[in-house]
Amino acid sequence: MSNKAARNLFILGSLFFFAIFLGLTYDTMGKLDKRAPEITEQVNAGKMVWHKYDCIGCHTILGNGSYFAPDLTKATERKPKGYLKRFLMDPKSANPNASMPKLGIRDEEADDLIAFLDWNSKVDTNGWPPKPILAAAGGVAGKELTEGQKLYQSLGCAACHLINGIGGTTGPELTTVGARRDRSWLIGHFKNPEEYVKNSAMPKVEAPEADIEKLADYMITLK
Amino acid sequence: MSIKYQSQKIAEYFYTFAVVLFLVQVVVGIIAALQFIWPSFFILNFNTIRTLHINALVVWLLTGLMGATYYVVPEESETELWSLPLAKLQFWATVVAITAVVLGYIWMGLNPQANSPIMGITPLNEGREYIEAPRWADVLIVITVLLFLFINFMTMLKTKKWTGIQGTLIGGLTVLALMYLPGMFYTKSMVKDQFWWWWVVHLWVEGAWEVIAGALLAFMLMKVVGARREVVEKWMYIEVGFVMFTGILGTGHHYYWIGTPGYWLWVGGIFSSLEPLPLLFMVWDAFRTTREARNVENRAGLYYTVAHAIFNFVGAGLWGVIHTLPQINKWTHGTQITTAHGHLAFYGAYVLLVLAMIYITLPAIRGVKAFNASRAFQSFWWMTISMVFIVLTITGAGMVQVYMERLMGLDYVAVKANYNMWFWILRAIFGVGFLIGVGIFVIDFFRLGKEPAPAVTAAPERV
Ligand code: HEC
Ligand code: HEC
Ligand code: HEM
Ligand code: HEM
Ligand SMILES: [Fe+2]
Repeated sequence: MSNKAARNLFILGSLFFFAIFLGLTYDTMGKLDKRAPEITEQVNAGKMVWHKYDCIGCHTILGNGSYFAPDLTKATERKPKGYLKRFLMDPKSANPNASMPKLGIRDEEADDLIAFLDWNSKVDTNGWPPKPILAAAGGVAGKELTEGQKLYQSLGCAACHLINGIGGTTGPELTTVGARRDRSWLIGHFKNPEEYVKNSAMPKVEAPEADIEKLADYMITLK
Repeated sequence: MSIKYQSQKIAEYFYTFAVVLFLVQVVVGIIAALQFIWPSFFILNFNTIRTLHINALVVWLLTGLMGATYYVVPEESETELWSLPLAKLQFWATVVAITAVVLGYIWMGLNPQANSPIMGITPLNEGREYIEAPRWADVLIVITVLLFLFINFMTMLKTKKWTGIQGTLIGGLTVLALMYLPGMFYTKSMVKDQFWWWWVVHLWVEGAWEVIAGALLAFMLMKVVGARREVVEKWMYIEVGFVMFTGILGTGHHYYWIGTPGYWLWVGGIFSSLEPLPLLFMVWDAFRTTREARNVENRAGLYYTVAHAIFNFVGAGLWGVIHTLPQINKWTHGTQITTAHGHLAFYGAYVLLVLAMIYITLPAIRGVKAFNASRAFQSFWWMTISMVFIVLTITGAGMVQVYMERLMGLDYVAVKANYNMWFWILRAIFGVGFLIGVGIFVIDFFRLGKEPAPAVTAAPERV
């Protein structure tokens, strides 16, 4: 091949592939809005707050950004919004071990951010982030779950609490909570945590009385 | 070694600025690494430190490439630069703009409210990774880059010697400038925001920059071993051609999970898997061309050139391809695996490229006949071994993270703070090793040619 032919191949080939890329981009742009919820004023305001505080300098969202702090794509599905708001405005008040700095986020900024995060959690991401396969397998392979254990999973308690090494680190570890607390304390605490623990960041458990009792029964077995 | 055209000396201005920023980048990187161990280690939070780290990196690589271009274009065009005063103006404009941006980041780091939007635009930090520079700075940067391109283009126009190397170089730089534009407008949708953001980031490092690297590799091979132009230019076209054929649609490997349609899994998976091929051509090219070279005057230059080709392939090609298929990327997306790849790729492809260009052109600029290359080798090994270990450490952290967080469902914070702690400690230690290498390089940069060259390492006579 002559140098001139090689050069032409480079230039024309690049243009060819770029043209395909432009075509795909055009097609994609037409489809994006249908794959995500509507962008309200508040969602957009939240996006501006997101940029203002440079959240991406520590976090990823949709998996892109920095790897210093958890991915926030599904943040509003993992934790209750009331808790998140409190965390955003003053991380240490919600979780004494938090290392996210208090950035000075104001009340309405926190609401906007949560609307923005909520929008992201509803984007159709082709199934990302994937469900952990080993944890799912463990639940099935192990022995039959008790009613209390099922409630513990369905109410999302594991987002904040560790039991035997699995779960979140926002609240205290529950592996031996049965040795610390009795049944009535637990039931009362579930209904209104702040009455039992000053400034508790634990959300009230919104469930029927019977379920709350089953949950407490499960807790006291943890010793 | 000496220069043919006085205006080539302008390259040294850019190199000096680049070298200083390199030092800053690495010091700041170590602070970031320590914040993984103690999050409140420094007055500035992690996000500001990281912004400084990656912006210093991109800016020093770009200024280094600008200096290299100001050296290559007069040489290839066989004439003085079209306007040396304008080139100097461009240099100082770049320095002023970058300094202003950095001060803005620090100010915003100390007082986030200073970044409150003014008429819908955040004035100090755009809050988008790599392109944090605020809008006013974007405009200044675009103007200086256009001025830079204009000066070089006018120089080429003086003699109209459209050599393949300078044509490809300027072509790559023009695409680089164009690809900055998709990052300069606001979109309400986070999905579109990231879509266009990858045009900048991916089409830079896996498109325009690799084209520039291909052109400079050809130039360096001609310089250090006297390779024949017709041969290196032909291979250069084939290499950069394949970079574009695979890299443009390879952008799809960032469009798997951000809200984009499913066909990108196919497009991205197939084309990005082929991206290592042209990088492998470059390694082969470098070996084939240098294998028979006997009387090499500039051993340091040769060393860095070949190392650049190898680590470009390992860091970008191998460490990139391991997580580029959607089936794997689904689990590794946004983990420490990405950081490991980012470090080795940038180091191999662009840090070593700029250092190689410095070692090849600086002796000529300073009019040095032979120089003691021992510091160049020492710094090379300190940097390279430390970087390889940083990358292995972080790859380890990434594997633990993928297993525990993504497969087992453990909490991100638990994995980071407990299981990965030793990896963070090791990274910080190897980071210090890297800093030692940078320190040796910086000393060498400022001393080169300014101390008598010892007779023992004088280059062998050309036969
Ligand atoms: C300096 C780094 C840093 C910055 C900047 C930062 N965060 Fe965080 N963030 C963290 C860390 C670290 C955590 C993990 C919990 C902890 O240790 O505090 C966290 C946790 C969170 C959580 C809780 C996630 C969960 O599942 O419990 C949310 C929500 C959050 N950040 C949102 C934001 C938003 C929104 C911004 C921008 C306004 C932001 N963060 C800026 C470091 C940061
Ligand atoms: C958003 C985070 C969050 C969620 C979700 C959450 N908790 Fe908590 N939990 C906390 C925090 C914070 C505390 C510590 C403050 C307190 O004791 O009230 C706590 C405390 C507790 C305690 C007392 C532990 C002790 O040793 O004093 C128990 C028991 C408990 N949670 C159980 C649960 C159960 C069961 C669920 C699910 C229904 C749940 N939590 C959901 C955050 C959470
Ligand atoms: C010199 C060339 C390259 C450089 C400098 C480079 C650098 C980077 C960087 C810095 C990131 C992280 C971006 C972020 O912050 O989110 C990244 C991501 C990525 N790179 Fe590269 N890269 C190069 C080439 C390649 C190649 C050739 C491949 C594939 C064959 C590749 C595959 C990937 C993939 C799949 C990701 C996304 C990781 C994720 O999902 O989190 N890269 N690259
Ligand atoms: C020339 C050498 C270096 C290059 C080219 C480089 C490049 C980069 C890049 C591209 C990123 C963004 C990462 C990504 O998005 O994947 C980054 C982040 C980072 N770098 Fe470096 N870096 C270098 C040296 C160092 C050193 C010596 C250290 C300290 C040990 C360091 C510590 C860090 C840390 C802690 C981050 C943040 C990673 C994260 O978000 O998890 N870097 N660097
Ligand atoms: Fe890419």
